Amino acid sequence: MKPAPFAYQRPSDLEAALAALAARQDSASLIAGGQSLVPLLNLRMTLCDALIDLGAIAELRATRDMGARIFIGAGVTHAMIEDGLVPDASNGLMRKAAAHIAYRAVRCHGTIGGSVAMADPAADWPCVLLALGATALLRGPAGDRIVDMDALLVGTYETSLQPGEIILGFEIDRLPTSARTAYVKSNRKTGAFATSLAVAVKTDTFARVTLGAASTRARILQATSAALAAGQDLATLEPIIARDVTSIMPQPDAYLQNLHETCVRRAIAEVLA
Amino acid sequence: MGADAHSSDGWIGASLLRKEDARHLAGKAMFVADVRLPGMQDIAFARSQIAHGRLNGVSKPSGYEAQVFTIDDFSSLQVLEAGPELDAFRQSPYPALASGKVRYVGQAVAACVAPTRARAEDIADLVAIDCDELPAVVDAIAAMSPTSARLFEGWPDNAYITRTIGAGEIPLMKDAPVRLHRKFRMNRQATVSLETRGCVAYWDARLDELLVYLSTQGGHVMRLGLARALGLPENQIRVIAPDVGGGFGGKNRLLPEEIAVCAIALKVDHPVRWIEDRREHLLASVHCRDHHYDLTICAERDGTIIGIEGDVHIDAGAYALWPTGSFMEASMAAGNLPGPYRVRALNVNTYTVATNKAPMGPYRGVARPGACFAIERLVDELALHLGVEPYALRKLNLVTREEMPYTTIAGLKLDTGDYHDALDTAAKMVDIAAIRSRQSARKPGEKRIGVGFAVYTEQSGHGVVEWSKRKSRVVPGYEAANVRMLPDGSVNIHVGVQNHGQGHETTLAQIAAHELGLHPAQIKIRYGDTATTPFGFGTFASRSIVFAGGAVGTTSRKLAEKIRLIGAHLLQADPKSVHIDNGTVVSGAGSVSFSEIALAANVRQEMLPAGMEPTLEMTGTYEPKESAGVFSYGAHAVIVSVDEDTGRVEILDYAVAEDCGTMINPMIVDGQVQGGIAQGIGTGLFEEIPFDAAGQPLATTFADYIMPCATEVPSVRIAHSTTPALVTEYGVKGVGEGGAIAPPAALANAVADAFRDCKASFNETPLTPRRIWEAAQAARGTAP
Amino acid sequence: MTTLTLKVNGNDISREIEDRTSLADFLREDCGLTATHLGCEHGACGACSVLVDDRLTRSCLKFAVMCEGANVQTLEGFGTDPLMHALREAFHEAHALQCGFCTTGMLITARDLLARIPNPTEAIIRDALAGNICRCTGYAGIVHAIELAATKLAPEKA
Ligand SMILES: Cc1cc2nc3c(=O)[nH]c(=O)nc-3n(C[C@H](O)[C@H](O)[C@H](O)COP(=O)(O)OP(=O)(O)OC[C@H]3O[C@@H](n4cnc5c(N)ncnc54)[C@H](O)[C@@H]3O)c2cc1C
Ligand code: FES
Ligand code: FES
Repeated sequence: MKPAPFAYQRPSDLEAALAALAARQDSASLIAGGQSLVPLLNLRMTLCDALIDLGAIAELRATRDMGARIFIGAGVTHAMIEDGLVPDASNGLMRKAAAHIAYRAVRCHGTIGGSVAMADPAADWPCVLLALGATALLRGPAGDRIVDMDALLVGTYETSLQPGEIILGFEIDRLPTSARTAYVKSNRKTGAFATSLAVAVKTDTFARVTLGAASTRARILQATSAALAAGQDLATLEPIIARDVTSIMPQPDAYLQNLHETCVRRAIAEVLA
Repeated sequence: MGADAHSSDGWIGASLLRKEDARHLAGKAMFVADVRLPGMQDIAFARSQIAHGRLNGVSKPSGYEAQVFTIDDFSSLQVLEAGPELDAFRQSPYPALASGKVRYVGQAVAACVAPTRARAEDIADLVAIDCDELPAVVDAIAAMSPTSARLFEGWPDNAYITRTIGAGEIPLMKDAPVRLHRKFRMNRQATVSLETRGCVAYWDARLDELLVYLSTQGGHVMRLGLARALGLPENQIRVIAPDVGGGFGGKNRLLPEEIAVCAIALKVDHPVRWIEDRREHLLASVHCRDHHYDLTICAERDGTIIGIEGDVHIDAGAYALWPTGSFMEASMAAGNLPGPYRVRALNVNTYTVATNKAPMGPYRGVARPGACFAIERLVDELALHLGVEPYALRKLNLVTREEMPYTTIAGLKLDTGDYHDALDTAAKMVDIAAIRSRQSARKPGEKRIGVGFAVYTEQSGHGVVEWSKRKSRVVPGYEAANVRMLPDGSVNIHVGVQNHGQGHETTLAQIAAHELGLHPAQIKIRYGDTATTPFGFGTFASRSIVFAGGAVGTTSRKLAEKIRLIGAHLLQADPKSVHIDNGTVVSGAGSVSFSEIALAANVRQEMLPAGMEPTLEMTGTYEPKESAGVFSYGAHAVIVSVDEDTGRVEILDYAVAEDCGTMINPMIVDGQVQGGIAQGIGTGLFEEIPFDAAGQPLATTFADYIMPCATEVPSVRIAHSTTPALVTEYGVKGVGEGGAIAPPAALANAVADAFRDCKASFNETPLTPRRIWEAAQAARGTAP
Repeated sequence: MTTLTLKVNGNDISREIEDRTSLADFLREDCGLTATHLGCEHGACGACSVLVDDRLTRSCLKFAVMCEGANVQTLEGFGTDPLMHALREAFHEAHALQCGFCTTGMLITARDLLARIPNPTEAIIRDALAGNICRCTGYAGIVHAIELAATKLAPEKA
């Protein structure tokens, strides 16, 4: 189980990384923590001619607290978030989620940017960041752009990142201290990817409920979120949740339908409690 | 000294810390992958991507012809006959590399050699395998239909062997007052030693022999197979099993890759190495379980079991592995169906079926986890049907101590023990009444709680009679020990069993220390090298403590007697008046140390009694007085909570009451029990290799093949009782497998208990959240 | 090929390696440090655990070239480290190993835990081990050993 050969570069700043990416275009792949990419390369399930390692780029690990918003660099690891080493705008939601991703060794290296770029339908960060209404900062040959998570996530292992683009990081609006959040993950064993993942965020003015592992990508449950924001109780929400879940599942599956509804229900119960 | 159960010196029964730990803790152990030889190159295999196909040809990538080997490069390799020596067992010739046909996804087709494994894999990727795909046979029951595709031309159907096991008052079953029909399925999994398989081989010119480092449970038997396959005399093959990182049955078969590696070593002028990777392990190493039961339990209205009838299908995969294939699965599954119960009739048709999946081999517990799952689920289902406590129904049917020895309807002679006591102890440990009141106090929305029991027996120490009855190609009816006291009085003992975690360096030293009157630290146990150890069969079937323990004990005892006689001579005392004490021979006030005795025996023969042979070295073999085996047993009780919305099970408590006869080292016994249960939990809740309709395996990495970890496996509470065996040295019985036998049954019973109110049935392992939820839904749908 | 320069167990090492060499293979094949075991090569078993700049790392999930300039510590490199010493003793006393194949990874993982959380509860210990497979022991001895080591290391209560 060894990877096919590839060329390797380790740029020390963003400009060099962008240049390297531009020079090699489609045949090159960025690598951050390597915690998703290396297993795929080892298994030869992914092939690439060149790896451009973002590990030496300190800029990508930057974080900024701008009061109403925070910025988290793409290279920030799950462990840094778990350990509270970066500013938090989510009332602890991100710390909690981070601690439930994989295992400590993976968290010590896996990055938030890598996780989003990987776009695994069952991954934690896409679902959490979507619920937080985060936006991603991208830099590419055509300059910088800001996209919201809903536009960045496209499908299974698919984002709207353009060739040559790098995720710089994420901006997240600070939740009011009164905001409630919930993170409910169901998986086969501790540290495994979710079979179902529901995240709920509720403030006095809005609510957002997202579901991962149910579809080709993490999704906002639109009707559920609206009804929750409108102050409906759980009993009223139940049929709405069911419809939302059905609408995003690629094919009917009674077990998964029930599992997703359960996770969503539990997340909502938690924010309502 | 002698066969007393508890020694006065305290070594038998002492929880001595293990002698093998230090090198592992220092990171200085040596596993096969750690062997370093100059010029060594790596091997990677190109494997079949399809489940069933006619192999038209294999093309070697250009430029790499000399580095790629196919079966055509080995014209003199012999295909080993495997399976039992029964005419009724059909042969499934399994070449070292595919020839003529491929029969499962992952079957090795070509071997590629390169300076690193990565480069060998590069070459393997370029090998083109030209196959005409044939319909895949993936369902063992459908495989028996006359219209099914066949794996082997010339076979009248897909069964390796079909047999009916019938005994007792079979006609009673037809009109039994209660007849309950159920189907059970224990799905296919892998053995998953954490160290995968591996083999390093080269021709040693000086010794004129093939040196093979092999991760195996029994080097001597593997050498026999290798010699036959390669056409070499056995004295030109030396197998070394260094540290072995777990086996569990999977390393007790000779696999084609290992033969291929050795065959290549004979063709090239440098060492070659193949280290199985995890995907290869899950794809193409020994697979196991995969039992299908379709049974009816027949009983009186009061719950007294009358008999069991029905069919058992074993999905044995594409080939029989050398030496014994998987033929024991079916007969042991059927033979263990009566479990520890008084059953008056048994009538079971067994089918060992060839399918387009990796070959099946033994895995901890061999067949009994499936049989235990079937019978123990049937008992619970019967109890539910009759409206009685499963515990009470077990009590009604369990063989009693007074009935011992008890020969079961399938002919197993349960030798000693008190099965009722084990069950009672386990029941006390979990407190059924408390669980019942928790259950009735449960509010809607809360998790469900259930308790489940399973009683098991574990045959061990079975010898010639039992194995030759099974028509085994290799009859592991004895073990040998070579006990050697060196001139300074220190002791080396060479044994033919293989330690791969069982702690033999410690337990066997305890036994020898007991017999020789030494401290275990003065005794070194050596194994795993065919050049230095006496012939032996290796470690499997819970046999080592009985056989190797017996061989070490009896041979050490003989050597102790010689030491005593020499001591008496040196003390000029009457042999009748001297005894051994703590490394000395003592006569009244006088004593002589072992080092003086050993010096005399080895290098100062003039000091020996007249006519006595020099040296202090003896080799002896051992087989228990009766070879039908001795039975360890136990009762498992588990409490689970089930989240009925997600189907997730959590183990709240796990209690075991067990009896494995005399314990040489209780700490190690507890380790075996706990470790076996972890594997049983894997079988019961997590581990599975499903296949799609085309025969593609769907779990080939740990992302899909779920291994239980510390968050999934609780620390088990263990209660021991000790009924020494009557026919073994020290009264020992084996303990390696028992832990793994009962958990799937106990867990399924506990989950079923949690859903007692809706009578849901949980009859397929692993009990995944989906299976649990779906079974509960099905029960609710049909409940009145 | 890349020339890799880093520190392994305190020694400066500079080697020409193939870019695709994993850190695990670099340690095992190029440095001869075979305490680092490979149980899966896809990040799911923990047998290959090492420390890279004090961070717990699965050496099968890093290419060696990604560790340029890093300080890598394998089980061979703990010398008289008191945490590792206590853990080794406790693993022995609590029968925390059978075949020993998982042991080196377990020790490194346990040391990382105790370095961060000196007094872990059983639940925290189990969680920290959740990604380390042991096929032999059923974990009870390992969990107990870590508790034992933590107790031994705890400063005497006043
Ligand atoms: C055993 C195991 C269990 C796991 N369990 C979970 C889990 O439960 N939940 C979960 O969410 N994840 C899980 N993961 C995945 C883990 O979280 C990864 O760390 C993460 O998904 C990828 O982050 P990385 O930095 O390692 O990315 P890498 O593996 O380095 O890269 C992943 C992809 O992202 C791209 N990329 C990386 N950085 C950037 C960037 N800045 N801009 C653009 N593209 C970029 C790469 O090109 C690559 O395609 C698990 C992993 C393992 C090995
Ligand atoms: S070998 Fe690295 S985690 Fe298994
Ligand atoms: S001791 Fe064998 S894998 Fe842990």
